[in-house]
Amino acid sequence: MTDAVNDMPGRGSAYPRLNSTLRHALLIAVCIVMIYPILWMLSGSLRPASELFGGEAGLIPSQVTLSAYPDGWFGLQVTFGRFFANSLIISVLATIGNVLAASLVAYAFARLRFAGQNFWFALMLGTLMLPYHVTLIPQYVLFRELGWVNTWLPLIVPKYFAVDAFFIFLMVQFFRGIPRELDEAARMDGCSAWRIYRKIILPLSMPVLATAAIFSFIWTWEDFFGPLIYISEMENYTVQLGLRSFIDSSGTSSWNELFAMSILSLVPIFLIFLFFQRLLIEGIATTGMKR
Amino acid sequence: MATTIQLNSVEKRYGAHDVIRGIDLDIKPGAFTVFVGPSGCGKSTLLRMIAGLESISGGDLMIDGARMNDVAAARRGIAMVFQSYALYPHMSVYKNLAFGLETAGYKRKEIQQRVNDAAATLQITDYLHRKPKALSGGQRQRVAIGRSIVRDPKIFLFDEPLSNLDAELRVQMRVEITKLHERLGNTMIYVTHDQVEAMTMADQIVVLRGGKVMQAGSPLELYNEPANQFVAGFLGSPKMNFAPVRVADGGAVTLDRHRIEVNRPLQVAPGEDLTLGIRPEHIGIGEGPGQTLGEAQVDLVEHLGGSTVLHVRPQFGHEPLTVVLPGQHTCRTGDVVTLRIDPADCHFFDGEGRAIRG
Amino acid sequence: MSAYDAIEGGKSAARPETSGWLARAIHRNGAGYLFLAPWLIGFFCLTLGPALVSLYLSFTDFDLLTSPEFVGAQNYVRMVTADAKFAAAIRVTLVYVALSVPLKLAFALAIAMVLNRGMRALPAYRAIFYLPSLLGTSVAIAVLWRQLFAADGFVNSLLATVGIEGPSWISNPNYSLYTLVVLSVWQFGSPMIIFLAGLRQIPADMYEAASLDGASSRRQFLRITLPLLSPVIFFNVVIQTIEAFKAFTPAFIISGGSGGPINSTLFYTLYLYQEAFSYFRMGYASALAWVLVIIIAIFTAFSFLTTKYWVHYDD
Repeated sequence: MTDAVNDMPGRGSAYPRLNSTLRHALLIAVCIVMIYPILWMLSGSLRPASELFGGEAGLIPSQVTLSAYPDGWFGLQVTFGRFFANSLIISVLATIGNVLAASLVAYAFARLRFAGQNFWFALMLGTLMLPYHVTLIPQYVLFRELGWVNTWLPLIVPKYFAVDAFFIFLMVQFFRGIPRELDEAARMDGCSAWRIYRKIILPLSMPVLATAAIFSFIWTWEDFFGPLIYISEMENYTVQLGLRSFIDSSGTSSWNELFAMSILSLVPIFLIFLFFQRLLIEGIATTGMKR
Repeated sequence: MATTIQLNSVEKRYGAHDVIRGIDLDIKPGAFTVFVGPSGCGKSTLLRMIAGLESISGGDLMIDGARMNDVAAARRGIAMVFQSYALYPHMSVYKNLAFGLETAGYKRKEIQQRVNDAAATLQITDYLHRKPKALSGGQRQRVAIGRSIVRDPKIFLFDEPLSNLDAELRVQMRVEITKLHERLGNTMIYVTHDQVEAMTMADQIVVLRGGKVMQAGSPLELYNEPANQFVAGFLGSPKMNFAPVRVADGGAVTLDRHRIEVNRPLQVAPGEDLTLGIRPEHIGIGEGPGQTLGEAQVDLVEHLGGSTVLHVRPQFGHEPLTVVLPGQHTCRTGDVVTLRIDPADCHFFDGEGRAIRG
Repeated sequence: MSAYDAIEGGKSAARPETSGWLARAIHRNGAGYLFLAPWLIGFFCLTLGPALVSLYLSFTDFDLLTSPEFVGAQNYVRMVTADAKFAAAIRVTLVYVALSVPLKLAFALAIAMVLNRGMRALPAYRAIFYLPSLLGTSVAIAVLWRQLFAADGFVNSLLATVGIEGPSWISNPNYSLYTLVVLSVWQFGSPMIIFLAGLRQIPADMYEAASLDGASSRRQFLRITLPLLSPVIFFNVVIQTIEAFKAFTPAFIISGGSGGPINSTLFYTLYLYQEAFSYFRMGYASALAWVLVIIIAIFTAFSFLTTKYWVHYDD
């Protein structure tokens, strides 16, 4: 499956008519359309607030200023620094939970034998398609009873119980590709199931663990709905909620600051994209990740 | 003191599917036993049951007199070499060898000592710091064996360990494993589908088919006195020739009206149909001792240098026969030769394939 | 494969041979269930339990503060007979799904086919096309979209340069939903990558044989590419449709949480959110959630039923 995303130069095609130059021109045009809005937002964040909003479709500001960044950063009662720290903590803890729990469960499904295994596996697959809305309200009631509303716990703790079946499925697929004889050799070597998981399966699964970690981080970082319903005090806001408040408090009057904070909120994802692009794309190509 | 293994009516079922059907077997201390049989005969499953990798559905597995059915694999004192070697790809050769010892909680010094000893024995000291993927097939094989040696097990199991090697290396490793057995003196069980490996390496061969033991015994016992037509046909290359015969009066059989004097009592009523088996190397041509079997036309000649293989079509009977003659011959396709046999070399099998001993 | 212990390794002593079926069952299954435990707890406490509770709540009046009051099927009846907002939410969501999914997938497939020619710059193109998908549901992207299509936004200033005076896309109920469709299509990157992977699985010699037979490229597309890619297309349709039904953030940000103007961006999930967390009609919201499940289930079942007519499997 991995070579599905490797490049195969010289590959024949059914569509030889479109000549190469034309094709590149077309693709570059599409690229520009894709990227232009983001660049436009970046350039907007560098314009002075006085520059009439929107009237400008070009990318080059008449005057470059970085003032929108500090202004936006301190634009609310709570600084964006706090939001970033909150988002980072939540995302990191959620990611650890997801990878840990999903890998344990996936190991059970992929490698151990126990009564009812197929039944549980089918149930697990069944939850893949279940929209989270059906569990939303009782979960909210539950967390409210536990006194977890307005804390980060509802955003973090469920991940330690492998609620996102997607990651389990992803890892089961990968673990099944590891030769079973390695487990058996380890068993002959006296390993317990735990030690096989820890010393054989996990070290050999770094690619899938990294892929799961990256997606888990990005999805938690971008999550808006969870924080929206669970977190009410600005002290505890994530970046996404901070941005929402910023729209509400400033409207379009300080759009350059809004743009600046929006750009900053995308930076972590963009960095991950830069460094782990290959893992991301392989992850999608091999598993059909939703986005 | 080496270890004994006993199987008493051992069975394996997957659901309603019987894979191993009541195997009784005695493995003597220090013996090199080879399980051999066609694919699907259950030889690997049986080995894995002894290893503890497959559960035992029925019967008892005894090692040194103790019942082992419910003892975890690691506590049976067994080491196993896998067909794919199953080296841990993320560990260096040293780590591969040390892993089992670390798991068992050995001290670092002791681990070092044992790994280095095993590496020296198998001449892999130079690669200790390499990862398995940087090794050749033969080197990986040695590491796999090394991993089993370091733990100083009572019993070694080999699951088709040479099938991934090229022919030359296979012969070489065959010799090395035999030597290893001679030096260590441990009880070893070796699974293969290759009857040459079985014949050359074994103290005891166990021929399996359909989850049952067809015959167990020393290589020459099985070769000389196969208990049934299956074993007779399975061991030996080229394969034993078979031809339908009918029992005649007076210690003879008829092969398509051609009478063969058996010279020994068959204890079968005249008129019964039997199968005659004769090994290719037990058929001669031209003048010589023994009984004339009739004439045959040569279809094909294979000159192997040390011997010559003839594929002939007898003028009696319909089945083509294979003949192996020692040395070199000038036979050509189309020649007509006279076949002769020594009745003592003939095997007879009844309608169910069981050998009939004189 | 026999059972083996999760905690004990080779170090511990041999266990007693037989000690009843319970001990045996634990011995055989213990490790599996220990590793499965996180999921089992999560499944019962956070998925199955809550799902059943919400099914019950959907037949009640529940405002979070007083205990739920059983009202029979009233919530469902009201939804169908007396709730104009529900009708609007269904209409908006269906239009969104019906437009965004085919457009997005058509675009993804078209670009994947152009890229599937082993060009040297493929990784670069692929990465750029994928980036919007990844940034996807960020609030920042919704913010950007809001400004792109604002009355004095980027799109209108672009139109102004050619002398067209554009409407206020976001605040005009005739257009607001389409800005969200455009946003969805803009994120065609991830289905594109899945298409690319699928296209790579089609053996090149199949096209070569077809060319030798004189098949036109249009015919090759219809007779080779589409049939062989149909499992991937099917997969993408199902996944993207479910995702489209669940879309929330962009509509929330663009409409300021209202689903306006005039309910024109009232996505189903947005309406559900409003009922649950603005009006605290938790019983009604639970009923909405179950209707969403039913809609998605019907759609999925229907898709699977149609596969025998158009999805081609090798075996």
